[in-house]
Amino acid sequence: MARKMLIDGEPAPALEEEATNFDFDLFVIGAGSGGVRASRFSANFGAKVGICELPYHPISSETIGGVGGTCVIRGCVPKKILVYGASYGGELEDARNYGWQLSEKIDFDWKKLLQKKTDEINRLNGIYKRLLSNAGVKLFEGEGKVAGPHEVEVTQLDGTKLSYSAKHILIATGGRAHLPDIPGKELGITSDEALSLEELPKRVVILGGGYIAVEFASIWQGMGTTVNLVFRKELPLRGFDDEMRAVVARNLEGRGINLHPRTNLTQLIKTEDGIKAVTDHGEELMADVVLFATGRVPNTKRLNLEAVGVELDHCGAIKVDEYSRTNIPSIWAVGDVTDRMNLTPVALMEGTCFAKTVFGGQESKADYSNIPCAVFSIPPLSVVGLSEEQAIEQANGDVHVFTSTFNPMKNTISGRQEKTVMKLVVDAQTDKVLGASMCGPDAPEIMQGIAVALKCGATKAQFDSTVGIHPSSAEEFVTMRSVTRTVAGTKPRTSL
Amino acid sequence: MAVAATSFSFSFTVTTPKKISSLSSPTLHTLFFSKTISFSHSLRKTLLLSPSHHTPTRPRSFTLSASSSSSSNSHNYDFDLFTIGAGSGGVRASRFAANYGASVAICELPFSTISSDLTGGVGGTCVLRGCVPKKLLVYSSKYSHEFEESNGFGWKYDSEPKHDWTTLMANKNAELQRLTGIYKNILKNSNVQLIEGRGKIVGPHTVDVDGKLYSARHILVSVGGRPFIPDIPGSEHAIDSDAALDLPSKPEKIAIVGGGYIALEFAGIFNGLKSDVHVFIRQKKVLRGFDEEIRDFVGEQMALRGIEFHTEESPQAIVKSADGSLSLKTNKGTVEGFSHIMFATGRKPNTMNIGLESVCVKTDKKGAIEVNEYSQSSVPSIWAVGDVTDRINLTPVALMEGMALAKTLFQNEPTKPDYSYVPSAVFSQPPIGQVGLTEEQAVEQYGDVDIFTSNFRPLKATLSGLPDRTFMKLIVCAKTNRVLGLHMCGEDSPEITQGFAVAIKAGLTKADFDATVGIHPTAAEEFVTMRTPTRKIRKTSPSEVSDTEGL
Repeated sequence: MARKMLIDGEPAPALEEEATNFDFDLFVIGAGSGGVRASRFSANFGAKVGICELPYHPISSETIGGVGGTCVIRGCVPKKILVYGASYGGELEDARNYGWQLSEKIDFDWKKLLQKKTDEINRLNGIYKRLLSNAGVKLFEGEGKVAGPHEVEVTQLDGTKLSYSAKHILIATGGRAHLPDIPGKELGITSDEALSLEELPKRVVILGGGYIAVEFASIWQGMGTTVNLVFRKELPLRGFDDEMRAVVARNLEGRGINLHPRTNLTQLIKTEDGIKAVTDHGEELMADVVLFATGRVPNTKRLNLEAVGVELDHCGAIKVDEYSRTNIPSIWAVGDVTDRMNLTPVALMEGTCFAKTVFGGQESKADYSNIPCAVFSIPPLSVVGLSEEQAIEQANGDVHVFTSTFNPMKNTISGRQEKTVMKLVVDAQTDKVLGASMCGPDAPEIMQGIAVALKCGATKAQFDSTVGIHPSSAEEFVTMRSVTRTVAGTKPRTSL
Repeated sequence: MAVAATSFSFSFTVTTPKKISSLSSPTLHTLFFSKTISFSHSLRKTLLLSPSHHTPTRPRSFTLSASSSSSSNSHNYDFDLFTIGAGSGGVRASRFAANYGASVAICELPFSTISSDLTGGVGGTCVLRGCVPKKLLVYSSKYSHEFEESNGFGWKYDSEPKHDWTTLMANKNAELQRLTGIYKNILKNSNVQLIEGRGKIVGPHTVDVDGKLYSARHILVSVGGRPFIPDIPGSEHAIDSDAALDLPSKPEKIAIVGGGYIALEFAGIFNGLKSDVHVFIRQKKVLRGFDEEIRDFVGEQMALRGIEFHTEESPQAIVKSADGSLSLKTNKGTVEGFSHIMFATGRKPNTMNIGLESVCVKTDKKGAIEVNEYSQSSVPSIWAVGDVTDRINLTPVALMEGMALAKTLFQNEPTKPDYSYVPSAVFSQPPIGQVGLTEEQAVEQYGDVDIFTSNFRPLKATLSGLPDRTFMKLIVCAKTNRVLGLHMCGEDSPEITQGFAVAIKAGLTKADFDATVGIHPTAAEEFVTMRTPTRKIRKTSPSEVSDTEGL
């Protein structure tokens, strides 16, 4: 709250002052999800907007980026394309009991998929550029730096430097994968490279238990690669509901991924047979590719922020207030560079709120409650609201937990041994649904509508009063009649 | 029978404004009865939306006697409830009635995949001849599309995948046997006595099952419905959906007559399994009653996948030629060379020969049992739920009706099923999900509505190169901002629609949708990121309205 600055009682003075001595009303550094959204909407509100972005390439670096940003070029989109590609592996197995006779030899051509993925990314990169130009946003290719509270410097490809003044500066430079500091780390790759490998590896070792690690494990497994997933905790996906974490772990294992819980990598050694990954248990795992999915760090190093006095946190993320404003009133930041909730739709929300606040005459704070999200493992996990553990911690009274574990209809004939698990966490006093989770086919698609209901405080009774769509998996969410367990909240009662 | 339900009374809310002078059961029942008629007629158009339409001016109390004459309360019945028909509605009502302490028996015909006057099976239409086997066949048939898609994602097959119908049928039937067994167990575990045989009503409290008589305080008729084939020359050569789900061999070339959801689902199934599929519909478009844009969209998408639609073509005769192939003669000409002709021309309630006339249970002109809002028939001790009442013929609705009935009869909690915002799906390929009003209904009922649509090529299709698209639509009341209807046609539509149905049933507004963050990248996120209305329809602007009227 300390950083809630001038904005209060100062309703969007921006356009009124109309200081003509600035080159731009807004200059944005970084044309990813958040930056593009903020630019377009600001321009729609009448602002004169410039945006700069590094040259395009699938693999990012200090000097490589591309319009579209992580989501489009190195994240959500290419990842989902590969998940689609990998899903057919399991589908083909499932088809046989449905009467399909498939040839013994089924090939998967990684290079073809890679090429088509790259084509699609190129197409989207073009679309994003067009979106900007159609909105009247001027795009500069080059590396942007903050030169002063109202001053931006763009170093172009040929080394020439451009300097512009702007009434407001928005930093939306995102983040990048982070490598752990172990001997031989240069032999490992990050998710950027993993999305663009020349050859499909036969054996991979993945270090990390987060969603990126889990997604790549599923991708490679589906394509026929042998996968070893190494993570420090007992279960993958720290921060998610514990019960669901266990379900994901069981499914990954059931699909043939080798899990190494409570394990870390200590060293990578190059050998003739590939890379030898040594674990802290002394185990040696051989791999053609070692992926580090060990977290991401904000891209703030080369922005010259310290010189201007923009405050960063200990991870290098830009500190902002609820309106995405930094400690320098004319400098703002949205998206992963602020390390709030690192999701594309959240960056979009922050970008929209920024544009409304600064140029739309409507103060808007991003609302971080009940944000749904998905892990595109195979099968996927999707959640909204609180986990059981969070609910117990935050609840005043009892928490009702409803769970349903079932064999999806498709598996009854395919013979696949994989249960779908769904869960609702309900406040016993108010009947409000506090959280929903699901692990199983179509979970992310199913969860979106549930998220609308949760966002508006829907009660369990309202879920129950909704008629099911039969036969679907989703109908299970409206037919959970009996409480699986009731747990007492741990928050001390203050109202007594 | 030392069980609950001797004479019990409870508070009843009557929705008829008409003056009520007598509290005797026949009067009570006539009141409900007349109400019910308007109810079922107006169901599709109005009831889906506004429960307030039926809100009483003030609640009134009645005594609902468990038997037709109050003096017979001491009568000793064999059962508190005897249910005829162990499908979705019957099983649900019986189980819950038993859970509430009633003694319950249920009768059902012997198991067969094809239904008749003499065959049925525990589980009913949904499990044996409807939702479940249909969806299993949809799963199977969808693979051909997935194989095609997979080519675009780098998968290659040495030889084209071939489908073996026999394997599918065997595995499907094994699953149906398993499910009918499960349903039997469910009944057993709930202490419901299952009697195999044909139940027939012989008195207000008496059921005859193959010559044996059982008495019951309440009788529930939940015998469902059966496909109906119109009587045209050669109709004996046609098959219905029961048969289509259990054919000895896969059709080479099939004519499907009808434009409803069953016709479309089977068209998708056989098209996916590489049969040559022709669909004959009387109207210009498929799926009468659905949103017009959805009707157009699904027709286009199905045609793109290779289904041939013959519109405004009514069948007149089927001719079997010497080589055994079938020709379908229509008002426009004759199409030859079919191995199978399937009629998906509607379903009829199974009310023939179950003794309804003998006790004067009233049925409508389609043969459906007329019931009031509590599922009570014109005979106070006889009740009916599910397709036999022809209200909304969906499994989850029958479940809701069965549950409500059990509460009404045995838990002292008179419960009306709530028909507002019942979501539903069509498992065509691509499938449809919908909840609430169509645009046409919304305009009629609310006048001023905002329509948000999105028609896009899903990420998967951009890679597969197939012409698949997805269509989504939100219908919003301009005055209140409430979301009145949601429609989608495209992959995963049924799964996607369920959660939104919760939101819409809860009365949420477009602003609530907008406030929800998307799940990226999904198709569903499109429903929370529709910023600009595609069109605004206002009563004050007749030119716009006229485009959508008269449908």
